[in-house]
Amino acid sequence: MQTTKTLVKPKKSPIRYLLLPAVIFVAVVTQIPFLMTIIISFLKWNVKRPDIPVTFAGFDNYAYIFTDSKFYSVLINSLVQSAVSLVLCTVLGFLLALLFSKSFKGINIARSFIIVPYFVMESVTGIIWKTLMLSPSFGINMVLSKWIGIEPVAFFSSQLSLVTIIILIVWQWTPFLFMILLAGLQNLSEDVLESAKIDGAHGLKLLYYIKIPMLKSYFEVGMMFGLINILKVFGLVFVTTQGGPGVSSANLPYYVYRTAFYDWQMGRSAAIAVITVAITLIVIQSFFNLIRRRQKGVA
Amino acid sequence: MDISLKKRMGKHIVNVSIWIIALLYSFPILYMAVTGFKPEEKVAPPQLFFTPTFENYRAVISNELTLHLFNSSVITVITVLIAVLLAVPAAYAIAYGKLKSAQSYYYWFITTTLLPAVAVVIPIYLALNFTKLIDSRTGLVLLYVGAGVPLMIWLVKTFFEDVPFELIEAADIDGCNRVMSFFKIILPLIKGGIFSTAMLVFITTWNEFFFAVNMTYNKAATLTVYLNRFLTQQGYFWAKMCAAGTIVVFIPIILGFFTQKALVKGLTVGAVKG
Repeated sequence: MQTTKTLVKPKKSPIRYLLLPAVIFVAVVTQIPFLMTIIISFLKWNVKRPDIPVTFAGFDNYAYIFTDSKFYSVLINSLVQSAVSLVLCTVLGFLLALLFSKSFKGINIARSFIIVPYFVMESVTGIIWKTLMLSPSFGINMVLSKWIGIEPVAFFSSQLSLVTIIILIVWQWTPFLFMILLAGLQNLSEDVLESAKIDGAHGLKLLYYIKIPMLKSYFEVGMMFGLINILKVFGLVFVTTQGGPGVSSANLPYYVYRTAFYDWQMGRSAAIAVITVAITLIVIQSFFNLIRRRQKGVA
Repeated sequence: MDISLKKRMGKHIVNVSIWIIALLYSFPILYMAVTGFKPEEKVAPPQLFFTPTFENYRAVISNELTLHLFNSSVITVITVLIAVLLAVPAAYAIAYGKLKSAQSYYYWFITTTLLPAVAVVIPIYLALNFTKLIDSRTGLVLLYVGAGVPLMIWLVKTFFEDVPFELIEAADIDGCNRVMSFFKIILPLIKGGIFSTAMLVFITTWNEFFFAVNMTYNKAATLTVYLNRFLTQQGYFWAKMCAAGTIVVFIPIILGFFTQKALVKGLTVGAVKG
């Protein structure tokens, strides 16, 4: 292996130029705007008041945010929302994958019915859950409450709005975890399972000691990709609760948006955006480290 | 005989419950599609029995919907084409280029997918305003290509690595240049993977919400924007809303059905091997 590598290796491979267009394009659309966001985060800038000049504000925006109690509520909302959704998606996705890994005629169609919500756009998900499903006056919520004989649940009240957003995220992202984990279950080596059974591992024991450890990399990939996307959830909040009542269901992306397009505070919004990205990186990095440490511990 | 009958019964019960769970899970979508066929007065409060009508579908298929359908289609198709042209060569370079920094480029691309859209919205709004690309299809395409390329590179690279490097070396020795070996040997092997990944970019672009809502007014507005506006303006006409929603989600669901396998493979192959 080593020798072939050194033999073939060109001095300055022209292949590198194939990378350039993609790198330049992605940098121009994502990285440079983000650098500008960092610069804007140091400005005092209210778009609705052109009479007040845009001035350099130093760390004023950051100081304001870190003393703002609303920001902390939103931060906690975001962390709770992401952590709870991710855990629920994973557990539910895995249970469904176990159940749907049986094979019988038509199972592929049944599986598709679980996967469908993943491909539905956020605005449609938000709309149908807000109206058809959870509306206390005309939704399934009303029908079921009437049937049981209770008051319809106020899913969009300040006590429950965050829970409602979590339900929607779980409904939309469980199919993704389901897809990945089902593929994992189907790729499990029959030999290993067979010999484990001969050694007396059955049912839950087989699941806990053999199947779950063997699926570890599938859990990692699925949870990582899920986490990346759950941290970015915006449309579901925008369509259903607008972050409200108050900030009870606002997450960081939505709060950035609201500060820019309702309060018109560009500098402050940019500062929240920078903090959001920093937190995202920290969360993803810690999750990655957790996986790594686990791996070392097992080996 | 009694035992085998019991066993068979048990099996049937499990299978039936699997079907019930599957249908319950996608119930909101099915309910939406059915509600689209209900006369408006049977929707709120919901009634079980009704005579199906095409009235709602007929009502929402208007010039407005056609415009937004056209926008969504043009924007998505062009985005996917450009993303493929940019991402496939880049993924090739990362997989076979033997570049020292290949891995860092790869991780860099993946990191850009972490960036939430809100973190770049102000500069992008200013830039589009400055270049007169606000409310233009071109503007959206540029943004969507920027988001689609990293996702494609992430997945396509693992498909490339499925092709043994020895194949390319053998072609080198036979005097086949790299461009030829790409089209003659590698592409036929991974075209399924590239196609499915392209479909995934198609779905995410088609479904994109944030930039569509904030960077367009009407001229370039996509179906997501149209639906969101429908809810705020005509939110009381649930049946029509459901008809519109059903039309809009139809394409991504069909495509999703065909791409799920490749999506799973692209995401897991690299990780499972490593």
